[in-house]
Amino acid sequence: MQEFNFIKAKNLTDACNLLTELGSKAKIIAGGTDLIIELRQEKLSEEVETIIDISCLDELKYIREEDGFVKIGAGTTHAEIVRSELIQENAPVLAEAAGSVGSPQIRNRGTVGGNIITASPCADTVPVLLALDAVAVLKKGDKTREVSLEELLAGPYKVNLADDELLTEIYFKKLPGGAKGYFYKLARRKAVAKSRMSITAIAVQDSDKKILDIRLTPGAVTPVPIRFKEVEEMLSGQKADAELIKKAGEMVADQMVNITGYRWSTDYKKPVINSLTVRALNSVLEVE
Amino acid sequence: MEKIKVNFKVNGKDFRIEVSPNKRLLDVLRDLGFMGVKEGCGVGECGACTVLMNGKKVNSCMVLIGQAEGAEILTVEGLEGEDGQLHPLQEAFIEAGAVQCGFCTPGMIMSSLELLNENLNPTESEIREAISGNLCRCTGYKQIIDAVKLAAKKMRERQ
Repeated sequence: MQEFNFIKAKNLTDACNLLTELGSKAKIIAGGTDLIIELRQEKLSEEVETIIDISCLDELKYIREEDGFVKIGAGTTHAEIVRSELIQENAPVLAEAAGSVGSPQIRNRGTVGGNIITASPCADTVPVLLALDAVAVLKKGDKTREVSLEELLAGPYKVNLADDELLTEIYFKKLPGGAKGYFYKLARRKAVAKSRMSITAIAVQDSDKKILDIRLTPGAVTPVPIRFKEVEEMLSGQKADAELIKKAGEMVADQMVNITGYRWSTDYKKPVINSLTVRALNSVLEVE
Repeated sequence: MEKIKVNFKVNGKDFRIEVSPNKRLLDVLRDLGFMGVKEGCGVGECGACTVLMNGKKVNSCMVLIGQAEGAEILTVEGLEGEDGQLHPLQEAFIEAGAVQCGFCTPGMIMSSLELLNENLNPTESEIREAISGNLCRCTGYKQIIDAVKLAAKKMRERQ
């Protein structure tokens, strides 16, 4: 394994001070389920001399409701999200995604902050958090800034985060009553599987079945998960019916190909992402 | 690379060690003689190195030793009673024929233990979920699931 010095952060302030001092020479470890593999493959930049452990910080482990927002500490594990009553009540779709990550062992260690910062194209919680319009709280020294999760994600395995910045929290507005969510992960097996594709949909309709709010994030089919906003706009304000849902499925498939280009896997992925979209919309929408 | 000092408990016993920080919990446990902790894949997929860390199952290949500071670790060696009496899970694995080559067994037992510590009446799907991070290359899953059911029954009866 790669060589490094190891410092266990005493608290959040200590972790931020260490980052300020060491900058690009330091790397944060939380659950470690991605980083330890990189260290073993000696793939981490040689510039990194020190690993700072934040897995021990209770300050980063919380799920709470504040002024209509659900706030999750970056060090919260996937298992903790699955078990949280607050998440089960307010965003069961996030619990669904967190529960599909890796294995029970991985979910006991891996954190939501780590899932975001690793920025894997096939991250499972990221598409759902995007659909929840999540905001990331970043700490640098004693200063704090907030960015949308969308802005934080820069590309595959890349985030717009300075070397001396730390992700401390992710939060999102509680969904209105009657909102419905759906997450489905398509993988090669049922457990310890990476998403081949996933689909996340969240929708709110009025009593006339008019779509008031719709959010759609296909996962693992674009360089980083993104909301398919043109499809959302097409659906928004419409009355849900089979024709509309069919059109949305086709649009999602076409847009995926526009983004990624035609690949060896496209003949498979195009009809499947279409079907997954139709399935998701049929699940979250009441149809005429 | 500076060595670090780590204090932690394994099977109730205190350990104070000085070690290179690029060792994993798995490496250290085996160096300390806890050979029930197996290395299979080394990337968190096979579950052969599963131990309980503060009561939660983790892949010990996915924990840097420094992260185990202050932790209470339980390995399969810690299940045996003081008088050498096997744990109901160990008895059940033998009785149900759930051990073939044996390499996955300690991990399977530790994963099942986390489940039974919380739930002595698990459904079959809860058992399958509990061992979903553990691979058995002999593919004797049926007997393993039977063993966990049998262990749950033994533990209920002994309560």
